[in-house]
This record gives sequence, structure tokens and C-alpha cells, in this order.
Amino acid sequence: MRDADLDRILSKEEEILPSSGFAASVMEAVQREASAPPPIPFPWKRALPGLCATGLMLVSVVVASILLLNHGAASRPFPSQWRAALASIVETWKTFGGNWIALALVLSLASVKLSMRFASSRGSRPERT
Amino acid sequence: MSAADDEAAVQKVLAGDIAAFEGLVRRWQGPMVNLAYRFCRDRGRAEEMAQEAFLRAYRSLDRWRREAAFSTWLFALATNLYCSELRRIPARMVALDDIAEPRDPHAIDEGLEQEDQDRAVRRAVLALPAKYREALLLFYFHDMDISTAARSLDVPEGTVKARLSRGRKMLHGKLSQRLLTPLVRKEA
Repeated sequence: MRDADLDRILSKEEEILPSSGFAASVMEAVQREASAPPPIPFPWKRALPGLCATGLMLVSVVVASILLLNHGAASRPFPSQWRAALASIVETWKTFGGNWIALALVLSLASVKLSMRFASSRGSRPERT
Repeated sequence: MSAADDEAAVQKVLAGDIAAFEGLVRRWQGPMVNLAYRFCRDRGRAEEMAQEAFLRAYRSLDRWRREAAFSTWLFALATNLYCSELRRIPARMVALDDIAEPRDPHAIDEGLEQEDQDRAVRRAVLALPAKYREALLLFYFHDMDISTAARSLDVPEGTVKARLSRGRKMLHGKLSQRLLTPLVRKEA
């Protein structure tokens, strides 16, 4: 088979006509879309303090861990102020039930991922008759 | 309707006249459904995909910059949607190795019926890896116009040419073992 044969076959495609109600069905969907209330925006203003606090906490944990490792490697005593900071972070973590929050986040993420996987891997669609 | 009518309709829709969108739907429903059909070979699914494409076009109408024609923008948007839809749920098809079985086994010596051959080629195109399939489908949909196909796929023309060439080679490789057209036979 030559390129010319491919061109000939693939150029002369059968044309299908959209069903009679297609345009009406599209317009119905468009009207629904237009009349739907706008999506609720994410409340960045309210979430910002919490996000900042979480970010700071994470940065402090990382910094504290690095310092702890460095001090440990050099066999030098760990500065008491850092130890206190680390202790306060751990305390806060315990107060707010950090382990449970982390567990809940992991479980939520896993369930979302799992459901998305199931939804996308539902290979073939039902037969149309 | 012309390109200017398209633009006027878009302006009306953006100004709040949703009914003006119907003109655009009526003008482009045929090409949009046919393009979708070439991707999935399923009439019902083609209409679903075309409807979703129109809906997306409606949502992002304000993002159409007038640098290109409305139709170019619409086809690029639809192509993007159809490609991702087909990658998510592939069209029902047979494996490339199983294609082109003749209806009548005795017809092997006489070559396949033209209709069988055409069907086999189209099924083989759908069985190609996505990027070659998409390039071939768009190229033939746009009347073998490489630049329009490239705009629809949002890739450079050179990329489309390379994909077309590679896609054709793959088709030749698979089909030549199975399809001996009367043309080729005559030449032999």
C-alpha cells in the first residue's frame, strides 16, 4: 500500500449528520451553565493566617531538624533555645492532635486517589444500542 | 454565516445574549461532531464529546483572542478535548495485529473488497499510538492541510510532518502484510 492509497482512503470519510436535537441539547446545557450560580471562590483571606502558620511551623521543623543533625554530627551540645523551640513545636503538635490530623489527611488523600483511579480505569463504556 | 458573523455572535454572547450562541452551534455542529466521530467511531459518543466541546467553548469564550479565526480556536479547543477524552477512555477497537480479516476467507487470493480495505485502514489508524493517530486524523480532517492540523494540535508544523511520516510508516508496516490491494497486484 502506498501513501497515495492511504490519502485516498482516509480523505474520503463518511460524513455523519448531528442528530436533530443536538443543537437544542447543547443550548440547554449552555443555559444550565449560564443560570448556575458562580463557583464559590476559595476563601484565601480566611485561610491565609492558617497557611502562614503551617508554613512557618514546617520551616521551623525543617530548620530544627537540620540543626539537630549538624550538632549531632559535630558532637556538640544542642543549644538550649533550639531545644526549647523544638519542644514547643512538639507540644503544639500534640495539643492540636497533629498525628490524627496527619492520619486524616493521608486517609483523605488515599481515598480521593483511589476513587479517581477507579473512575478513570472504568475502561469500556456501556454498549449503545 | 462568515467569520465576521462568528465574531459578531461571540460579541453578543459576551455581552450577555446567550441565545446568540445557538448560531455558532448550528454553524459548527457538523464539523465538530464529525471530527469527534473520526476520533471515536461512535456516533453517540461523538455527540457527547462535541457537546462538551461547545460547553467549554462557551465557558472560555472571553479567552478567544482575535488573532486567529473563531473556527481555528474552536477546533483547537475541541481537538484538545477529544484527544484527552480518547486517552482517558480509548475508542473500542481491535488490536492492530487482528485487523483486516476478510469477510470471505476465499477472497484472500483476490484481494480484499475495497470496503473491507477502507475499514481496515481506518481501524488501523485508530490503533496507532495517540500522537501519530491524532496527527493523521487532524491532517485528513483538515483536507490534508498541515498548517491547520498543526494549529489544531498546537504543535509546530515540522512536528506534524514527522508524526505523519512515522504514522504512515507504522500503517504501511502493519497493513502491507495483510492488505494486498488490486492496485498493488496490478503493478506486480
